[in-house]
Amino acid sequence: MKQTPEMERIQRQMRPGVISYDGFLGSDKRLLCEIMDADEAAVRRMGLSHSAIAARMRELREAGARGLGQTTSVPPHFEVTVDAVRGKLPCPFLHEGLYEKIYTIVKNNTSGESVTYTDMNIHMIEAHGFYEGEGAPFRQDPATLARVLEIED
Amino acid sequence: MLVSFIIAVAAVGAINTLLAILIMLADATIGNYGDCKLTINDAKELTVKGGKPLLSALKDEQIFIPSACGGRGSCGLCKLVIEDGGGDLLPTELPWLDADEQKSGVRLSCQVKVKRDMRLRIPEELFSVKQFSATVSAINDLTHDIKEVKIKLSEPAAIEFTAGQFIQLEVPPYELTDEPVYRAYSIASDPVKQDEIELEIRYVPNGICTTYVHKHLKEGDEVTFNGPYGDFHLQPTEAEIICIAGGSGMAPIKSILEEMARTGSKRKAVYFFGARSKRDLFLVERMQALEKELPQFKFIPALSEPQPEDNWDGETGLITEVVAKHVPDASGKEAYLCGSPLMIDACVKVLQEKGMSEDNIYYDKFA
Repeated sequence: MKQTPEMERIQRQMRPGVISYDGFLGSDKRLLCEIMDADEAAVRRMGLSHSAIAARMRELREAGARGLGQTTSVPPHFEVTVDAVRGKLPCPFLHEGLYEKIYTIVKNNTSGESVTYTDMNIHMIEAHGFYEGEGAPFRQDPATLARVLEIED
Repeated sequence: MLVSFIIAVAAVGAINTLLAILIMLADATIGNYGDCKLTINDAKELTVKGGKPLLSALKDEQIFIPSACGGRGSCGLCKLVIEDGGGDLLPTELPWLDADEQKSGVRLSCQVKVKRDMRLRIPEELFSVKQFSATVSAINDLTHDIKEVKIKLSEPAAIEFTAGQFIQLEVPPYELTDEPVYRAYSIASDPVKQDEIELEIRYVPNGICTTYVHKHLKEGDEVTFNGPYGDFHLQPTEAEIICIAGGSGMAPIKSILEEMARTGSKRKAVYFFGARSKRDLFLVERMQALEKELPQFKFIPALSEPQPEDNWDGETGLITEVVAKHVPDASGKEAYLCGSPLMIDACVKVLQEKGMSEDNIYYDKFA
C-alpha cells in the first residue's frame, strides 16, 4: 500500500489531541500505510480476514451487551462486559458519523487472557483494516484478538 | 573559492535570520488577537486575552461550562449560544449540532476560539458553579472496581447542590496525561452536608480519571473540582417513584434518597439496583437502613449471575426483568435512572411498555 496524500491527512487526524487525547498511533513512528500493511500481513498469515475478526468482536460485544452494563457469561467460556463512558468520537478516516464510546472487555476463562476493545475498533478493523499503532491505548494486536476471541479461519 | 564559500554561508544565514524575523512578526500579529470583549447575556462584560478556546477563556474568568471530555469536542456538553463573533461553524462542531441549533447560534465552546469581541448567552444557573479546592478525606473500596472517595472542601468551604447533580473532578498531569483534564461524577452524599462530598468512581480500562483515582489518589491528597452541574433531580410532585441504577449509577440515587430520608418524605418509592453477583453489590446495609427511615421505601437488589457461594435468595435476572415483574402498571409514576446507557435504554423501553409516559422518565446517562 502507498501512503497517499489522503492517508497523510488521515494520519494527522490520528495524532494525540486531534480526535482523542491519546490519538490512535501510540508510539508507532511508521507511516499509516506501513502500520496497515503489517497488520494486513499478520491477518493473512493466520488465514483470517478483517471482516471475520470484526464479526467475532461484534458477536461477543452483542452477547455482552445483554448484561446491560454488568459482566455476563458468554458460552463456552467467556466473560464479557460492555459499558460506555460519556462522549462520542468521529472516525479518523474522514467520513461522516460519530461512534459512542462503548467498550467491550472479553475475558477468556480458559486461558485467563483478556482484551478490551471499543466500538470504534470494530468499525476501523471492519471498514478500514486499521488496528491502531503500537503503544496506542486501544491498539488491537490481530494475533492476540484471534487467540483470545478464538477466531478460526 | 574561500570567498565564495563565506558569501554562500553568509547568504544562507541572512535568509534564515529574515525568515525567523518574519515568523516572529507573523506570530505577534496574525496569531495575536489582543484583548477581546465578551458580553454575556447583555449584562456582564469581560475582557479576555484572545487566542484561547472560549471554554478555557471563560474558565479563567471563573465561569465553568460543563465539559466531560476535557475540551476535545467529543462529549458535546459545552454548548453555548454565540450571538455574534463566533465565526463560521467548524467541522468538529457539526456532528453535535442539529439544524435548529445551528440556526440559533449554538456552538461548542471548546472548539470556538476567542478571536474577536463576542456576544454570548450562558444559562444563569452556570454562574453559581464554582471551583473548589479540597482534600481527600477517605477512600473506601465499595466493590472490586468501585471506590468511594470522600472529599473535604477547603476553599470555598461549602458547596450548595441539589441531590442528583454532578461535579467535574480535575485530574492533574500524571503518566496518562500531560495536562489537567476534567471528568464528571455524580455526588452521592446528602446536600445538607455542604463541607464534604462523596463520589463513587468505577474503574474504566484506560480511563484517564478512573485510573488516577484507583491507582494514584490517596487520602490527604489535595484535589480541585468545579460544580455543581446538571438537571437530574427529584421532581416536586407526589407521584410514586421508581429508581433504577447499576454500578456507580448508585451515586445520584443515594443522594436523592438520603435527602428524602432527612426531610421525612412520605412518597412511595422503590429502588431496583442491578449487579452481576454479590461482590458487585454495595451499600446494601445503608439502603436497608433507609427502608426503616423511609416508611414507603423499598430496596430491591437483583443479581444477574449469582454465584453458588453467594447463597443469594433475592431477585435474580436482568434488572429489566425484575422491574417488569414488580411493576405491573407504571402509569402515573416517575422514574429516575442512572447507569450504563445500555441499561437505561432497556429500562426506558420496559417502563414505557408498562404505561409510563416518556416525560416522567428522568435519567443521568453515562454517555
